[in-house]
Amino acid sequence: MSLPVRSSASIFQIRTAIVAVFIGYLVLIAGCRTSEDAAAAATQMSATAKSLSDYYAALSIILSDTDQIYSLNEAMYSKPYSKESRQELKTTGAELAKRITLAADLSTLAGSFAKLTGSSSPADVAAAGNKLETEVDNLASYNASTGEQNAIKSALQLFVTAVQAHKEHEAAQAMDSLASGLSALFDKEADSWKSVDDVYVQLAATLAGNLVDQNAADNSAMLKPALDPFGLTPSAPAPDLNTKLATLTKQQISTRQAALVTSYSNATDAMSKSLHEMSQRIHMVATDKPMAFRLPPVTVATVEQWATQVLSY
Amino acid sequence: MANMLIDVQATFLSLDSQYNILLAGCKTQAQRDVLAAQYAAAQQNYQRTLNATLTDDDAQVAALSTQLKSANLQVVQATAQLGNISKVINDITTAVSLGAQLVAMV
Repeated sequence: MSLPVRSSASIFQIRTAIVAVFIGYLVLIAGCRTSEDAAAAATQMSATAKSLSDYYAALSIILSDTDQIYSLNEAMYSKPYSKESRQELKTTGAELAKRITLAADLSTLAGSFAKLTGSSSPADVAAAGNKLETEVDNLASYNASTGEQNAIKSALQLFVTAVQAHKEHEAAQAMDSLASGLSALFDKEADSWKSVDDVYVQLAATLAGNLVDQNAADNSAMLKPALDPFGLTPSAPAPDLNTKLATLTKQQISTRQAALVTSYSNATDAMSKSLHEMSQRIHMVATDKPMAFRLPPVTVATVEQWATQVLSY
Repeated sequence: MANMLIDVQATFLSLDSQYNILLAGCKTQAQRDVLAAQYAAAQQNYQRTLNATLTDDDAQVAALSTQLKSANLQVVQATAQLGNISKVINDITTAVSLGAQLVAMV
């Protein structure tokens, strides 16, 4: 017994029908934006997630340094650091830890979304379709023309690209409210975290000033601009030199205090802008609104710069 | 709450920056004790008010955390589903290949 061999005409009709089904599906999900918008959203998301992690990690260091300054003030100047205050500071640390976890979860999500937008599935499917084509040709004793093969291959690829865009659209819908929620939470809490930074900077400046007043700091570092170019270092700190440099040293403390506050404010503004941009891009993909321009991600170099500065303390 | 935070922060930092001068001006241990108690209270008020502004957002933070995990699951599944399409085609290819072999045996 032998299987009936299909005629060339009927196989062509089957192939045409398959292509028609794919095209029909494409029409159904034609509202979905291309992957390029989703990729732009994913890029912004990845950059934002990393900066948010760095931002909260730097705040964590600031909180830890504040705890140390409280302890130093207690040991050196009898400024009380009560058990209750220690507990409150731990609570602040626990609240910060929750935000650090949120930032880590955002990083995970950004990674997953980047995988989805960068999926090689359309290419994989085209290759798989090619193999299928060969097998079907062998089975039916019918060799499709190159044109037909390319048509089916392209249709398969288009089909999966459309499915991918559809999935990206669905993913963006799932992320839409949380992206705007994260952005809103960050803005809402900005004053609280600014307070953490302000208090740290001022406590540190006051303590540093006190140490200078007591001649307990080596002020000879102020001589670096004059000595460094010649490979020289100051001699062992002498009390009279320290006293002469005290006023300049205190001016430097004051100048750097202002710079630290400005640096934090700039980092916070940049972080907020990055979160807003991320939220906006995800919203566009979720609502199928085309991006007029696919700009590179809003850079958060200011945040990185500030975080690096804090890490160097 | 934000204004209250600014106020208690200003009180605490002002006392912190003046503490050594005020302490030097204290003539009795009782005065020093009062100063220390005021400092401790100002510090605690500041830390407590700060935490109140943060714990107010606990529900929002918890909701966002749940949403993040759920969204990640959806995205991971979507990526897996995309990958499955080529897997299905490959499975069909294997079936067709087997079919061709069967046909050859007839």
